[in-house]
Parts: sequence; C-alpha cells; structure tokens
Amino acid sequence: MAEFIQYFPLALTIPNLLTLILGVIGGLILGATPGLSPTMAVALLVPFTFHMNPITGLILLGAVYTATVAGGAISAILINIPGAPANIATLLDGHPMARQGKSQKALYMCFISSLIGGLFGMVIMILFTPPMAKIALKFGPSEMFWVAIFGITVMAGLSSGSIAKGLFGGMFGLLISTIGYSPMLGVPRFVFHDVLIGGVAIVPALIGLFAIPQVYSLAEKLNVQIERPDYKPQKGILLKTLIDNLKMVKTLSIGSIVGTIIGVIPGAGGQVSGLIAYDQVRKFSKKPEDFGKGNPEGVVAAESANNAMVGPSLIPLLTLSIPGSPTAAVLLGGLLIHGLFPGPDLFLNNASITYAFIASLVLAQIAMCIFGLIMSRYSYMVMSVPNLYMIAAVTVLAVYGTYSVQNSFADVIVMFSLGTLMYIGNKFGFSAAPVVLGIILGPIAEDNFLKGKLIAETDVGVFNYFFSGPMNLVIILLCAVSISYSIYGEIKTIKKSKEG
Amino acid sequence: MKKDLIVSLILLAGSIALYASLSLMEEPAAASFPRVVIVLMGCLGLVLIIQTLIAGQRPPRPVLQNNHVADSAKAPKDSGAANRFSFGTLVVCFVLILVYFVVMEKLGFYVSAFLFFIILTFVLGRKDLTLHKGAVRIGIAFIFTAILYVLFNKLLVVQTPKGLFF
Repeated sequence: MAEFIQYFPLALTIPNLLTLILGVIGGLILGATPGLSPTMAVALLVPFTFHMNPITGLILLGAVYTATVAGGAISAILINIPGAPANIATLLDGHPMARQGKSQKALYMCFISSLIGGLFGMVIMILFTPPMAKIALKFGPSEMFWVAIFGITVMAGLSSGSIAKGLFGGMFGLLISTIGYSPMLGVPRFVFHDVLIGGVAIVPALIGLFAIPQVYSLAEKLNVQIERPDYKPQKGILLKTLIDNLKMVKTLSIGSIVGTIIGVIPGAGGQVSGLIAYDQVRKFSKKPEDFGKGNPEGVVAAESANNAMVGPSLIPLLTLSIPGSPTAAVLLGGLLIHGLFPGPDLFLNNASITYAFIASLVLAQIAMCIFGLIMSRYSYMVMSVPNLYMIAAVTVLAVYGTYSVQNSFADVIVMFSLGTLMYIGNKFGFSAAPVVLGIILGPIAEDNFLKGKLIAETDVGVFNYFFSGPMNLVIILLCAVSISYSIYGEIKTIKKSKEG
Repeated sequence: MKKDLIVSLILLAGSIALYASLSLMEEPAAASFPRVVIVLMGCLGLVLIIQTLIAGQRPPRPVLQNNHVADSAKAPKDSGAANRFSFGTLVVCFVLILVYFVVMEKLGFYVSAFLFFIILTFVLGRKDLTLHKGAVRIGIAFIFTAILYVLFNKLLVVQTPKGLFF
C-alpha cells in the first residue's frame, strides 16, 4: 500500500492524465460499437504503446480495458447487443428499461454502479497483488512450466466450445512460438519460408488473430441493419438516479463481492461474474418476478459485478502470467513488449511502472464514470457507423500496427496469414484466445521446460522433477480441475439439449 | 459432423507431418520441446475424431470468438442466398487486402491507405452507391488518412512504409 501511495503521483502527470482520458473515451466508444470487440481494440492499440514510454503506454491499455467493459453496456441497454461478453447480464433488465423509455436512467445506473464495483475490486487488487507476487518467488523451472500450462488450460476451457479444440489451439500457439531460431541452441526451426526466419512476434500474432477475423466477420454482415435506439433525455435525472443507486446497498454489495471473487479465479471471466451476481440478487430480492422486465437492480447487480472483476482479474495476470480473460491476455502481450515480465520482478525492479499502472486503473474507473455519464446521450451515434468504414479502418490500423513494431513487411504477411487461418478456425469452433496465450507463454514454457530437463537429468530424473513437490502437484491438480470442469460443462450442455 | 470429421483428420495429418519434419532439424535437442507439443496436438486431434464419431452432431454451445458470444454450430451450417453473397464479399475483401499489401510497398503507407479506403468502400458498398455517398466516402477516407498522418508523423514520430510518395 505504501508503494502504491508513493508512486500514485506518476499517474497524475499531464501527459499521463491526457492519455488516460483519451483511453477512457476511446474505450467507451469502442465498447459501445457493435462489431468491434474490446479484445481487438486493445490488440490494435498495443503497437501504439510500443512508441510511448512504458508508464504512458500501459496507462492507455489499462484505460481502454477498463472503459470497454462499461462501454459494452451501452449497446446492451440500447440495442440489446452486448458490446462484450461481460455485459450479457446487463441486457436482461437494461434493454427492457430502454424499451420503457428509461434508457438514460439505465445508462446512468450502469456507470454509477460500475464505478462503485470497480473501485471495490481495485482496493482488493491493491491489497492482495504484492503478497501474491511473493509466492511466485518460490517457483522454480518446473513450477513455472506448469503455471504456463495452467494458463493455457484455463483459457482453453474459457473461450472454446470444446475443451479439446481449446487445448489444440493452445498447443498450436505453443508450436508457433517455437518458429525461428531456437533460443538455447541457435538452430532454425519450422522456417519453411524466409518471412518466418525471425519467428512470429507477439504483436503481429495478436493483431492477426483478433483483428483480421473481425474484418471478415464485418464483411459477412455488411447488410445487417441494427435497430435504432430509442433515447429520450430527461432533465434532472442524474441526482435522482444517484440517490436511487446508493440506496441499493445490498445489490451493490452482492455485485461487488461476487465480481471480486470471480475475478480472482483465473479464467472465470466477466460474463460469469455478471450472470452469477444477477442470479444471486434475484434470489435475495423480495420481488424476483420483476427481474427481466426492466428492474434497475438487475442492471446494478450486473454492472457492479463485471467492473469489480476488472481489478482482481489482474492479480493472477500480474503475479503468475495467467490472464483472466482474452482481453487480459492481450494486456499481457502489452506488458511483454515493454520488457515487463509478470511476477515478483514487476513489483521489485519495475515498481514505479507497475504501481503507476495500478494507480491509473483506479483513476480510469472514476474517469469512466464521469465520461460515461456525459457521453450517454450521444452514445447512440457510434452504433450507426457502417461496417464498410470499420472494415477499412481496422485493416489499415492492423497493417500499420504490425509494421511499426519492427518495420518489417514480413510481419504484415504473418499477421494476415494467421488472421485468415483463424477466421477459418473460428468457423469450426476454434477460438483465438488459447492460440494467443500459447504464443505468449510459449517462450516461458519452453525455457523452463529445458532448464528443468537439464536440472532433472543430473538429479532426480525428468519425471520425478516435473511431477513431484507440493507446488508442482498443486498446479498440476489445478490444470486437471480446469480441464475436468470444462468437460463437465460440455457433458451438462449435451444432457440439457437432449432433455430439451 | 462430416465437416468436423474432415477438420479433425486434417489436424491429425498435419500433426503427423510436423512430427516427421522434426527429423530434418540440424540439432535434435532443439526439437525436444516442439516434439512434446506436436505429440499432444496429435493426441488432441485423435480425441476430436473420437468425439465427432461418438457424439455425432453436437448441440450448439455458446463459443467466445474474439470476445463475442457466438454459436459454435450455427455459423458453418447457415447457408442460403444471404450467405452465398457473404462468401463473395469475403473473397472480394480478401483480394482487396492482398492488393493493398502489394500496392503499399510501391506507393507508401498513406497513399495506399487512402486508396484502399476508397476502393474498399466503393466496391463492397456498390449496391447503394450514389454521387452523394461516393463524395462522403472519399471525404471520410481523406479525413481518416489525414488523422493517421498527424498521429504517426507529427505526434508519435514513427516510421511508416515508404513508397514513391511519402
């Protein structure tokens, strides 16, 4: 906490504050735009931050990450399309409120409860991240190897319809990370063409896997008409909504606590927190039958939970490299291109950058609420941007972002090829997130695998080294639980559909 | 089911081919980690084949694709006139992007971005193209490129692909 207070002023410099405000406004717009995913937005921004100093760059990424979660609620409320999976629970009561002519009230409730939940989550994050990082100090090569594998199993279960497909994607990502020269022996691997000599860098992979499939998806939906939102501004509603919102102490508490707990669990994600909080609030309500018909408590529960998740979801990311969501995986890529490796090093040798980043996330929550309230009445405008312009703009930015990091045209070809392949993969139920995580965690996994193998061969043997010791066993158990849970979910879905 | 089976077989065959390519590596020790990964990929390919054969047509389950909740089984199954049109649009989009890459090396980033923006919006949006809409699209392309120029050249001061112009 002392370090947090010590480095807080670093986030308050004029350039950093301006970047933060720009990031929040941009994040709200991108979150509210149907067809542009928050993950893609952050992925496109990563190369821009490469040319900034690390603090400013990370502030920009953090601000966009924070604001897109809340921004996604705008389209959920106004046009019944969640801007991000985190906002699925918001539309259950948010859109019925809009249909009753209470769009403005629903949006105000959304931003105020997002702020309260978000700040609660940030406090938990500030208190628990540094002690968690100290645990990572005790990890050797075998534990680090298993942590990387755990990250992939978590993401595989979270983002794919089938755990086998998710794991295949993760393994494919690990394999992509081995392309180029072997870091330990200096020999080329899988260099089937000159463009692959330098290997596959993180930024082209991030942009290709997230932005190019989106370009094709937008092209698919060129003729889709989005319903025009019904938005009627009402005078003097802000103060009344604020008072109404603050009266919902029980709902805000349930939302914030559920969001925080779900956020800390790696891979559980925002959409789960919103839905669980919504369900709990409905169960504790005196009038559960009102939910789904435009009950403001539904919006408050969902939004306080999904924003409370933002801070805690970064605890496993910053301490163990395990992102809690696809967007957090991209954020991890942003940290790595600035040479910042999650773990204790982040809090010891790069304390100024890390704590300034955390401080900016707190400020981003406040800015998100202020600008969200201001922009509410104009938010419908971004929903009418034609797909044609978005296709052109996303492609140009993807090309620039990829080229700019290493001034390499080969990277642009790699980005486009990976993206086209991912689009085809998407059609068969494969997801980009495990592939990205495989590429990001690949070097960590390989480096620690080889180090562990060398140690093991002169000591207890490879099997004993990797499969013994309390830490190894706990992480292996977590991997098994993560995979089993996903398989259980798949079986349950099949059973349900057979019954239905 | 047939499509899933074909994809699973391709994944298994690809894993076997990659495993075979490991023998071409100059230093066998450099292949140890990729070998483990490819073996796991092969096993997962097998699991996918078995899953497809046993379970048959899987019921749709929400899938997170690029942070959008999509329906895993719905997209590939959808067919009909609308989708056939989408496929044509996709091919046009793919070709235009490829041409954009080739042209970018000759004309430079800004000129090619400006032309790509105009051509893409004109070609994909040709159905409802009018004189007024055409002028608006050119105007937006110009403003977009100008913003990029100011952002990259003046504010961030970064290198962009150079060509005949700037």
